[in-house]
Amino acid sequence: MNPTPAAIEVRGVVVGYGERVVQQNLNFQVRRGEVFVVLGGSGSGKSSVLKAMIGLNEPLAGEILIDGEDLAQADGEDRLRLLRKFGVMYQSGALFGSMTVLENVRMPLDEFSDLEDDAKDLVALGKLNQVSLLSAAAQVPSELSGGMKKRAAIARALALDPGILFLDEPSAGLDPITSAGLDQTIRRLSQSFGITFVVVTHELASIFAIADRCIMLDSRRKTIVAEGSPTDLRDHAEDPYVRQFFQRQAEPPAVRRDGSDVA
Amino acid sequence: MRAESTANGAVTPAHAELRREPDRTVLALSGALVLETVAAARREVEVLLRTTPAATLMVDASGVDRGDMSGMSLLYELAQGRLTRGKRADLTGLKPELQTLLAELPSPEAIASLETPRGRRSMWEQVGAETLAVLRDLRDQLAFVGGSVQGFAAALRRPRILRWPEVAVILEKAGVNAVPIVSLISLLTGVIIAYQVAQPLAMFGAKSFTADIIGIVMIREFSPIFTAIVLAGRSGSAFAAEIGTMKVNEELDALTTMGIQPMRFLVMQRILAGTLLMPVLTAFSMLSGVFGGVIVMRGMGFPLAQIWSHLANSVRDSDVIVGTLKATVFGAIVSGVGCLRGMQTKEGPSAVGDSATRAVVAGILMIIVVDAVFAVVTNVLHV
Repeated sequence: MNPTPAAIEVRGVVVGYGERVVQQNLNFQVRRGEVFVVLGGSGSGKSSVLKAMIGLNEPLAGEILIDGEDLAQADGEDRLRLLRKFGVMYQSGALFGSMTVLENVRMPLDEFSDLEDDAKDLVALGKLNQVSLLSAAAQVPSELSGGMKKRAAIARALALDPGILFLDEPSAGLDPITSAGLDQTIRRLSQSFGITFVVVTHELASIFAIADRCIMLDSRRKTIVAEGSPTDLRDHAEDPYVRQFFQRQAEPPAVRRDGSDVA
Repeated sequence: MRAESTANGAVTPAHAELRREPDRTVLALSGALVLETVAAARREVEVLLRTTPAATLMVDASGVDRGDMSGMSLLYELAQGRLTRGKRADLTGLKPELQTLLAELPSPEAIASLETPRGRRSMWEQVGAETLAVLRDLRDQLAFVGGSVQGFAAALRRPRILRWPEVAVILEKAGVNAVPIVSLISLLTGVIIAYQVAQPLAMFGAKSFTADIIGIVMIREFSPIFTAIVLAGRSGSAFAAEIGTMKVNEELDALTTMGIQPMRFLVMQRILAGTLLMPVLTAFSMLSGVFGGVIVMRGMGFPLAQIWSHLANSVRDSDVIVGTLKATVFGAIVSGVGCLRGMQTKEGPSAVGDSATRAVVAGILMIIVVDAVFAVVTNVLHV
């Protein structure tokens, strides 16, 4: 059987800011339809890697291919077409505060489709239904709870039916129950609609609930230190840092400067 | 957009075909029913259905090989009879994975139950709400004035409770840094007034009285007003934005729960600094405004001694005192309004911007109103 072609391919990528390298020698593939988790402690550069993948920051070296095309090399119409292949949920939701939830989700459709108004509303409501947020359609973001904001942000990211969804810290700031509900939604979207997910997180419970595969970034070695399914990493990892992460252990006292980050 | 996508070979356009069977009409759809193609497909379907009205419609979607939710909206609309004046169509042949997608579109009943947007308020309700808002704002302003007077009374007894280093910082930012712009504006105003006034005065042979007019107008009126307007634009808005941002970030709440009044911690320094710096800034403005007039008069050939004697005869001590007093009051008003609008900041992305705007508008309005009061009072008192 042929392996599923990669949705995203990262080849020899170095991310950083100016002279400062955050992560280097990054090589991995995200397969179509899987939930792929990028994990690592705070400050390990997870978000920088995500920003490089979605084209907000250009990598210092290497290439990132989405459906075989490099976003950093594309411009004009090509870039727009490539951008429409994925949606992004930002950590805070980044919903537009002056619009209702429905208008937020409808906004990409207003900009990029020539559907009739009724049909746009219908599709936007369908997206809200997909993330179980139909009843909040007429509310404005300031009236939503943290979990609802994230759901609304996912619905907006889904508006143009992209094949890939990037989620930045979906469970950050949520209680365990809300967070588990969001994990269920992610699983359902992945299984029922075949959406490919790239999720940046450090929540252990979430990782086990959603991830098919994950990579782990380390801030000291500045590269990927483990790759595999979460249970694989937990049970068979050789690397002491990976074991420590999965067993939720603090740094040993001698080097405890950023111990809170690891926990 | 559709053409562009087809050119890339990524999307095959959807195709619609109508065929008549003995007991029904079948609409056969094929190709990709996705975001890029659905709008065109919908128009095609509408034309077909208009030219061949059907009693019973069956939609055959077995030819649809790709689809997304935007595409499914067309099938939904057909199935619900939205495109056929209420006559619902039967749907067959849709791939299972697309059926799951179609099923996510909420039923008309579910959508209808959502339609509960906040009802529009009646006119009387709106009038009432606005009146209450105005009264509430008035009460806020009164409470604010009361609070600051109380604060200053406490500060007189214990000057240490004011944070003096911050007063110095504000004096520099709002005062020293404003000297160039205030001086330039006043200098040019002096020049402009001198030119405008010299012409009509020349008709009476009274051109040398230009100096008198420049002196009185700048020192008594324009310098305090222009300086206050510059302060409102530069610093009143900044005060509102600074305090507003702190409010949005819950920093004001943090102060309150620590038992520190935001009034004392943030507002009083700003009002004090604004009040202290205005007379000084206004003095700069008076000097450069008069200097502008002098330049013009020198250009017209008047000797310095003559200009000086006109100025000395026309500008009385009371003019300088009234001008300076006004400046002081304007300073307190502008910085007070800036802080008040900052404290009143609401939530949302535009809240801080709104507060800054309100600070400038209300500041300038108050300056003009108070200036009018000054004009009446000084006229009655003959000063």
